[in-house]
Amino acid sequence: MRLNIKFFLQIVLILILIIFVWIILNNLSINLSRTGIGFDFYWLSKPAGFSLAEKPLRYSPSDTYAWALFIGWINSLKVIFLSLIFATFIGILIGFARLNKNSFIGLISAGYITVIRQTPLLLQLMFWYFVGFLNLRNNNFLNFNQIINFSVQGIDLFGIKFSSEFSALLFGLSIFSSAFIAEVIRGGILSVPFGQWEAFRSLGLSERTGFIKIIIPQALPAFIPGLTSQYLNLAKNSTLAIAVGYSDIYAINDTIINQTGRAIECFIILLSSFLILNLLITNIMGLINKLIISSRK
Amino acid sequence: MAIKIKNLKILFLREIKTKISFKPFSFLLNTVLISIIISSLLLALNWIFFKANWSVINSNLSLFAFGSFPSDEQWRPLLWLVILSFIALINIFGPKWKWLRKNLLIIWIGSVPVGIYLLKGGFGLIPVMSQNWGGLTLTIFITICSILFSLPLGILLALSRRSSLFMIQKFSSFYIDIMRSVPLIAVLFFGQLLIPLFLPYGLEIDRVWRAIIGFTLFVSAYIAEDIRGGLQSIPKTQLEAANSLGLNKYQITRFILIPQSLRVALPALTNQLIGLFQNTSLMSILGLMELIGIGRSILANPEYIGQYIEVYIWLATVYWILCTLMAYLSKQLEKEMSSNKGY
Repeated sequence: MRLNIKFFLQIVLILILIIFVWIILNNLSINLSRTGIGFDFYWLSKPAGFSLAEKPLRYSPSDTYAWALFIGWINSLKVIFLSLIFATFIGILIGFARLNKNSFIGLISAGYITVIRQTPLLLQLMFWYFVGFLNLRNNNFLNFNQIINFSVQGIDLFGIKFSSEFSALLFGLSIFSSAFIAEVIRGGILSVPFGQWEAFRSLGLSERTGFIKIIIPQALPAFIPGLTSQYLNLAKNSTLAIAVGYSDIYAINDTIINQTGRAIECFIILLSSFLILNLLITNIMGLINKLIISSRK
Repeated sequence: MAIKIKNLKILFLREIKTKISFKPFSFLLNTVLISIIISSLLLALNWIFFKANWSVINSNLSLFAFGSFPSDEQWRPLLWLVILSFIALINIFGPKWKWLRKNLLIIWIGSVPVGIYLLKGGFGLIPVMSQNWGGLTLTIFITICSILFSLPLGILLALSRRSSLFMIQKFSSFYIDIMRSVPLIAVLFFGQLLIPLFLPYGLEIDRVWRAIIGFTLFVSAYIAEDIRGGLQSIPKTQLEAANSLGLNKYQITRFILIPQSLRVALPALTNQLIGLFQNTSLMSILGLMELIGIGRSILANPEYIGQYIEVYIWLATVYWILCTLMAYLSKQLEKEMSSNKGY
């Protein structure tokens, strides 16, 4: 009897879902035929007709929409990968600084974390772009003998040029995520029982060796879940690139929708590219986790 | 006696030595850091008081607060903001009467229809279109509405993810996983562009409400995961105890599972609230005139061209103060919940 009720409930739920989806699809098809857009993916092979400022590969407006999307995908990957590295680096520094016995350094890093965490990322990105880079005008700021050069055109490092949009996004994303990563690092280190600190001190190890050889290896597994979710957040936050005019995957989808009106198809493309990105990050972090666990055996 | 005093003296000296240990490296680092910070603070203060041109903020304060709300009617959003801050003040400093504390949540929920009535008008007030809502009022309105809608939806999703019914469980985990892997701006964009396509012809939802729907869909998935964490922390013995008392499923969920999991998930939930408050800024990309949208439109005005730093610092300060206030409020609530076990 009990089983029957459960079975009945599920059938009802499925029916409601099917009816709901059917109504939505029906409305959609009516609306699409009314606007005359339709639903297909053939437009992907047509020439895009818009130019891109940021192109790691060869691209011209006569190339197809699919190629433009691919360029956007590469642009996204580029900024995500680089800011992930920078964010981790700054985050580790700040996280360690917060644990420092020198209370002054601890105070500074706590201040950094609250300022960064309690203001919106969009505002920070706009700050880095409009105040940080576009304010440099044409005078070269920080021009160190051809090694690194900050100017309104962006960053020039050993002759490799990064546009100002890319650099602002890189700065903003790395600094924003670093505050969150710092908290993950601090939490991971605090999760190591205090007895471990006392134990290595009583064994006569110096603070530094003890920290590196005893505390860090035990804290590493505690870092991984937090870091994974912060990396996923970073990847998702990279879509704010549109605010500074960097052509990442979202910005290119937005342009295509404005041009062709194909909102549904672009939304599907956007969804699937982020699903792939998420799978990529979670799998890599899973691999790292496995490596850590196997190295401890 | 003399020996004792001597001992004390030595102890005291040792105490001082350990407290203010003179390590040359640390001392040097501190002096360098302190001098850098003091000089940059002085520079910043000099800029704030003498160089910055704050007229861009002073002359646009009503825009930042209410957007383009008609100036004769601006007492309405102001009244709502005053009511909200009054409730928040009661929450923090108010008396500890039990009946008041019990009903605070209801008061918070009740502030939403009051807000809608005051903003929208009708029933004796002049109606104001939602295109004219803006500034801080709109930011707070979107935040409060979205969190109030997504909390019950999140609880429902969390409960159904643990449900024994196969279909319900699969459906909610599918929904949560998809929502959590998509960037927020895509969901908001979905709300702005695709919801009109899904509705029957002639039926239209306001832009502000479409934004709230987008935020609700997104945040409820995150809230569901936080509450699931809370649910998992409830020991199994509690369920066994409840079963042996003869409570039915509804009673177990209502009186045992939900209150305890909410208490555990509270810090995570308030983080969601703060994140949501900050993320309302994304609506400025999609054309709503909330705080940052107003800032962008003011900067586009040729009269204030190039005054980015003033506007951004002002906006950052507003966000920082409000977020810190929310964090403080939530800490207060946590303390109260841990001390006051009975609901």
